[in-house]
Amino acid sequence: MQSPEGKRSLLPIRILSLLSFLVLWKLGSEWMDSAIILPSPEDTLKETWGLLHASSFYRSLGATLVRGITGFLLSLACGLLVGVLAGKSYVLREFFRPFLTSIQSTPVLAIILLALIWFPTETVPVFVAFLMGFPIITTNVAEGILAVDHRLLEMSRVYRIDRWRRALYVVLPSILPYLVGGASSALGLSWRVVVASEVLSQPLLGIGTGMQEAKLRLETARVFAWTLAALVLSYSTESIFRWIVRRLKRLA
Amino acid sequence: MKVELDRVSFAYGGLTVLERFCAQFPSGEVTVLLGPSGCGKTTILNLLAGLLIPREGTLRVGGRSPLEVRVGYIFQDVRLIPWLTVGRNLDLVLPRTIPLTERMQRIQTVLRLMGLEHALGLFPDQLSGGMSRRVGMARAYLFEPDLYLMDESFQGLDPPLKFQLLSNFQQLRSTSPKTTVFVTHDIEEALLLGDEIHLLSPIPARIIHSLRNPVPLKDRIPGNHELARLEGELFSLFRKETIHLGKE
Repeated sequence: MQSPEGKRSLLPIRILSLLSFLVLWKLGSEWMDSAIILPSPEDTLKETWGLLHASSFYRSLGATLVRGITGFLLSLACGLLVGVLAGKSYVLREFFRPFLTSIQSTPVLAIILLALIWFPTETVPVFVAFLMGFPIITTNVAEGILAVDHRLLEMSRVYRIDRWRRALYVVLPSILPYLVGGASSALGLSWRVVVASEVLSQPLLGIGTGMQEAKLRLETARVFAWTLAALVLSYSTESIFRWIVRRLKRLA
Repeated sequence: MKVELDRVSFAYGGLTVLERFCAQFPSGEVTVLLGPSGCGKTTILNLLAGLLIPREGTLRVGGRSPLEVRVGYIFQDVRLIPWLTVGRNLDLVLPRTIPLTERMQRIQTVLRLMGLEHALGLFPDQLSGGMSRRVGMARAYLFEPDLYLMDESFQGLDPPLKFQLLSNFQQLRSTSPKTTVFVTHDIEEALLLGDEIHLLSPIPARIIHSLRNPVPLKDRIPGNHELARLEGELFSLFRKETIHLGKE
C-alpha cells in the first residue's frame, strides 16, 4: 500500500523493518548459540553465496520454475474455461461448487500424499500446483462473469456487436480484475505448494529437494539459503506477472 | 417502417405490464408514448428492440420481426463502454467490412454534427451528462437503423441543454427520417419531438388518449403558444387519467 506522501517516504520504513528483522535474527542466533537450530544471518549469507556459485543451484531453480509455471498455466487455462461455464450457468455453478469447496478445504499435505501414490515424482508438484490454483481461478472468473454489466450486454445485442468483439470489449475487461486477483493468488500459492511437494516427492532437481537434502545433513544455513531462493522466485514471478498485466491493459 | 403491436402481453413474473396491448406507429414519424413512471413504456421499447419476448401477441416493424430490423436504441443510461474512448465506442457499431479510414471518417462527421469533434479520444467518465447523451445519439445514428427507440433520453437535463439535444436529434433525423418511438413522462419533450402522442394508463398499459401534433416541426420551440396550450391540455388529462386510474 502506498502512503499518502508517496512511495519514497515508505523506503526508510521498509529499510528500518528489514534491519530490525536482521538484528532480531542475529540476537536470536547469538542467544541460541547453535548453527543447527538458528544460524546467524552472515552464515546464511555465506551459504547463499556458495549456493549461487553452484551450477546445480540454477538447474534446481529452473526445474522448480518450470513445475510452478506449468501447474499455474494449467490451472489458469482450466480455471478460465470452467469459471466461464460456471459463471454463465447456474446449474454448472452448483454442479462444480462441491468439488471446488472440497479441494479448497482439503489439507495440501493430504493432496501431496495422494499425488505421490498416483503420479511419478516429477509430476507431483505440477499436479498439486494445478489443483491448488484451479479452484481459486475458477471461483474468481465465475464471480467476474456474474459481475458483467448486463446493460452493456443488452446494448451489444441491440447494436449487433459480434460474439468475439463482445467477449473482447465487454466481457473480458469486466472479468479481468477478478481474473488477475485469482491468478495472482494462485501464482503465489503455487510456489509454496510446489516446494512442499518437492520436499516430499524428492524429484532429481528442485528447491524442495535441495531443502530436504540440506535438512537431512543438518545444514540449517543451507535450508535458509534455499528458502531465500524460493522467496526470490516467488517475488520475481509475481513482479513479472504484474508487469504483463500492466502491458496487456495498456495494449487493450 | 410502420410499427404494429397486436394484442401484445408481457409480465415480469406475476406482474402483468402489458395485457393484449395494441398500437400502430406511422412510418417515418416520431411517436411518443407518454405515461407515468412504471407504466410499461420501457417494456414496449425492449420488446421492439428484441430484448424481451412477448408472452403472447405479435410485434411487426415494417412487416418483419423486431429481430430482423436494425434498431438504434438511445438508452436512458446511455450505456457507453466505460473503458473505451468515445471513438472506439462508436466504432464498435460499425461493420468491420467498412475500411478503418472510412469508419473514422463517418465517426468524425457524426461527432462534428453533434458538436463533439473534440470528444473522440475522451473516455465516458470524462464526458458531461449532455455530452454522453449526444454520443448515445451519435452511436444510434452511425448504426443506420430502420427504427429509433428513445428511452427518456433527455431526462434530468436542464431546459436549454434538453432543447439543444432535441434539436441535435431532429438534425440527425432530417438526413433520413426514420420511424422513431420515444417514451417519456415529460409533456414538453413529448410535444417538442412527437408527431403523434399516445397517453398511456398505469399498468397494464393501454392507450387512453391519442393526439396528432398540429404544430409543424420548425415551429416546435419552447414558448410556442400552441404548444403551451396543448401542454396544459395534456397535463390536465395526464393528471386526471393517471390519478383516476391509479385509484381503481
